[in-house]
Amino acid sequence: MSVTASPRSALVKTQSPFLDWLDQNKGKWTKWTLITLVVAYVAFLIVTPIAALAVGAFEKGIGKIISSLNQPDVFLAFWNTIWISLVVVTIHAIFGTLVAWVFVRHRFPGRNLINGLVDMPFAVSPVVAGYMLLLLFGRNGMLAPVIDALGIQVAFAMPGMVLATLFVTMPFMIRELVPVLEAFDIRQEKAAATLGATGWQTFWRVTFPALRWGMIYGITLTFARALGEFGAVLVIGGGVQGRTETATLFIYRALDERQYIGAYSAALVLGLFSLILVLGSDWLRRKRE
Amino acid sequence: MFFKSSKTIIISLLLIAILMTGCSSGKPTETSSTNSPATGGDVKLVLAAYTTPREAYGEIIPLFQAFWKDKTGQTVTVEESYQGSGTQSRAVVEGFEADIVALSLEADITRIEKANLITHDWRSEPFGGMVSTSAVAFAVREGNPKNIKDWADLLQPDLEVLTPNPKTSGGAMWNVLALYGAAKRGHVEGFSADDAGAQDFLLNVLQNVSVMDKGARESITNFEKGVGDVAITYENEVLVGQQAGVNYQLVLPTSTLRIDNPVAIVDTYVDKHGTREVAEAFVDFLFTKQAQEIFAKYGLRSPDAEVAKATAAQYPPIQDLFTIDEFGGWKEATPTFFGDDGIFYKVFAQVQGIQINE
Amino acid sequence: MLPHQQPSPYQNMNVQTTSTQTNKRNPSIPWGQVGLRSAALGYLALLLIIPLLIILQDGLREGLAEFWRQVTLPAAWSALKLTLWTSTVMTVINIVMGTLTAFVLVRYEFPGKSILNGIIDLPLAIPTLVTGVMLVILFGPQEALGAWLKDKFDFSVMFAPPGIILALLFLTFPFVVRSVQPVLMDLDLSQERAASTLGAGGWTIFRRIILPPLTLPVITGGLLSFARAIGEFGSIVIVAGNIPFRSQTAAVYVFGEVESENRLGASAVSIVMVAIAYGLLMFAEYLRNRRSKGSKKEAV
Repeated sequence: MSVTASPRSALVKTQSPFLDWLDQNKGKWTKWTLITLVVAYVAFLIVTPIAALAVGAFEKGIGKIISSLNQPDVFLAFWNTIWISLVVVTIHAIFGTLVAWVFVRHRFPGRNLINGLVDMPFAVSPVVAGYMLLLLFGRNGMLAPVIDALGIQVAFAMPGMVLATLFVTMPFMIRELVPVLEAFDIRQEKAAATLGATGWQTFWRVTFPALRWGMIYGITLTFARALGEFGAVLVIGGGVQGRTETATLFIYRALDERQYIGAYSAALVLGLFSLILVLGSDWLRRKRE
Repeated sequence: MFFKSSKTIIISLLLIAILMTGCSSGKPTETSSTNSPATGGDVKLVLAAYTTPREAYGEIIPLFQAFWKDKTGQTVTVEESYQGSGTQSRAVVEGFEADIVALSLEADITRIEKANLITHDWRSEPFGGMVSTSAVAFAVREGNPKNIKDWADLLQPDLEVLTPNPKTSGGAMWNVLALYGAAKRGHVEGFSADDAGAQDFLLNVLQNVSVMDKGARESITNFEKGVGDVAITYENEVLVGQQAGVNYQLVLPTSTLRIDNPVAIVDTYVDKHGTREVAEAFVDFLFTKQAQEIFAKYGLRSPDAEVAKATAAQYPPIQDLFTIDEFGGWKEATPTFFGDDGIFYKVFAQVQGIQINE
Repeated sequence: MLPHQQPSPYQNMNVQTTSTQTNKRNPSIPWGQVGLRSAALGYLALLLIIPLLIILQDGLREGLAEFWRQVTLPAAWSALKLTLWTSTVMTVINIVMGTLTAFVLVRYEFPGKSILNGIIDLPLAIPTLVTGVMLVILFGPQEALGAWLKDKFDFSVMFAPPGIILALLFLTFPFVVRSVQPVLMDLDLSQERAASTLGAGGWTIFRRIILPPLTLPVITGGLLSFARAIGEFGSIVIVAGNIPFRSQTAAVYVFGEVESENRLGASAVSIVMVAIAYGLLMFAEYLRNRRSKGSKKEAV
């Protein structure tokens, strides 16, 4: 199930007896009442808060926005967010594809169980996700001896935050790819094989192109989710300015420091960025269809 | 048929693992967490502090950087983290490698001591290791519309009181003890000057609490956003807020608790990072007149007698100022009040019982 | 949500193909498959299974009795109840408005429809923290709307359960809409027309033709919203009052327990939260499978 599936094409004049009946029996204005109701709800619930944020950010003019955002720690925080998101997207692109592939093409014991587990991160609160990693990598954590031996710091450092973000974004790629893989006609692969292609060639030349769009949507959703991660990185990262502070953590700190314009502007920037990603992929999807 | 692809995948796995560990922070200006020793070159200090003295440290740190550069030619960068005192303390115990901790209350330092991360006698520093003091006070709206003068005024019906959550906030713990102590010492009318009276008073005030934030700073910023009628907070939080242009008033109760804020280096981490010399210098710097004056500038009462006298105009004397010794020190206060069966949680549960039945 | 759990009809063909091709290396052991599977499972194990196991281990390390005691501590139990009831109210509202929105989007034409369609996905793009910030700006007691509501109706939106429900509604809005929309679009109008020619009234058409296929997506969309709502933190920590027993949700409670070293309590409540949310997700998955199995039978 893809949460962002958009209607294929606008349904033009439908000859729906139900709609006609609604119009006739429930009043001519049923259509417009319902539409107004929906539009009002959406306007109230979704548009006004975003508008309020924009108004709050622009309250002291665009100059103040620029000066609040033009600080080294803001750049650093955004850089951390982008870096973490890129690493996460790359890893999921590779391994998510792998997992989807293995699911669709192979059979092995425990397959169904793992099938369900992939969606687990969706059910786990980000706080819990961060806490699980703390249990593993904190000073008295289960894997602490291992990482100490390797000399890496995971908790309260970037690797921990990457892991936390990896966890919460896990389902997206796989959910996008599995249906695509399922729908893909394996006879094409077979044909390639009989024509002498190696496994790798078959994958790259035959299967991968069909996956491309699934991957693009998966990457977009993963990226947008990773950009906005807050609870998990707060618990595992500690919000150390200049070191483990992401854009979301910066916003949180800016609110604490009474830097409201800075907080709201950063929120707008972050929101806009994710928005472009999500709406962009929606638009691309619609264009394809 | 898929052999080559699985090999590639395993190689990619290894590459990514290496990538992750190698660029463990990914920042362009990162230096690894295991620093070069403090002699020569740049050095980095990590400061873990509670939320309130943010502005003070913001000014002190550049002065220290200049001072150290002058003295040794080394450039010091200081990475700061400001969270609730309890949160910070636990993070350090969990593996947050802070070189210096500046926390709200002694109990949070004790926790780090118990984890064997602090092994020196930090109390032998000047003023018993307390770098600043403050007092529990009230923030009220401009013009004090609800006419809050003292603890008893918190009992007004329909009054909305803000105080943070003691689970995460050191400030919250100071607040509760101040409230309790004032009542126990007989400064709250209508309540007997003993434990029973104090608990009764606590019960009644808690009924008026409307929001409990994670930290002292969050609590006061919420108040600024228009939530609540009065916030129980640090005197210095209000002063800093006023300096930032917020329009509210400070009210000092007749009897209140002196807040003592400790600072200490974390032995394990300074030795690991090789930053002991700089860290000790930083802590020493905090006790100098220069730094103390900055603390005083940002709303903190200085334990240094001279600086205190010089800033007396800013800080009116408090009629009945008691300290944590009233409760036997933090080592007794923490379990008695904030342990699982602590007085606070017992009373709080009672409050909810009352409210559910209303 | 991985689709049907039945193996691909080409499964066996695939296995044969693989083994013939790995003749080059070793005909009897399908290295390729094992290698791939290990890599995939290794990735899942590290990122998914190990963290879950550790929290299970931590929550249960002192036995079931202690686990249960932590979960039923007054503050914990209160937090869980608050989480569940606010999520339920939110889900009900979401189901109603989400279905209505999908209906309006699919069946009607009006200016600005594509804009509306795009707006639906906005909440997915907004970081949860930002959601909280926005709502406080709008409904905080000092702000226009919030102050008005407070003065007129003594109704506090922020720092109270209504604020929680509002934030959750914002976050989960797309789920029901996007779940119902494709199904509504695929509805065969000829069935409607047939029913109409056979004399069925509008209401009957609605009940018998339109509604039944919608029940499943509505329920799965609702379950998805609910599961998502249970764990919400970033926005709640800003908009809720976080007062234990009154306006503290389970996620915020866990955060407090993590921060105050009640590890067992944090793990115990986390386990309960995950179990509930995951149980719901699995139930939704089960419903979907039953559906597709059922339809498969019909097709055959």
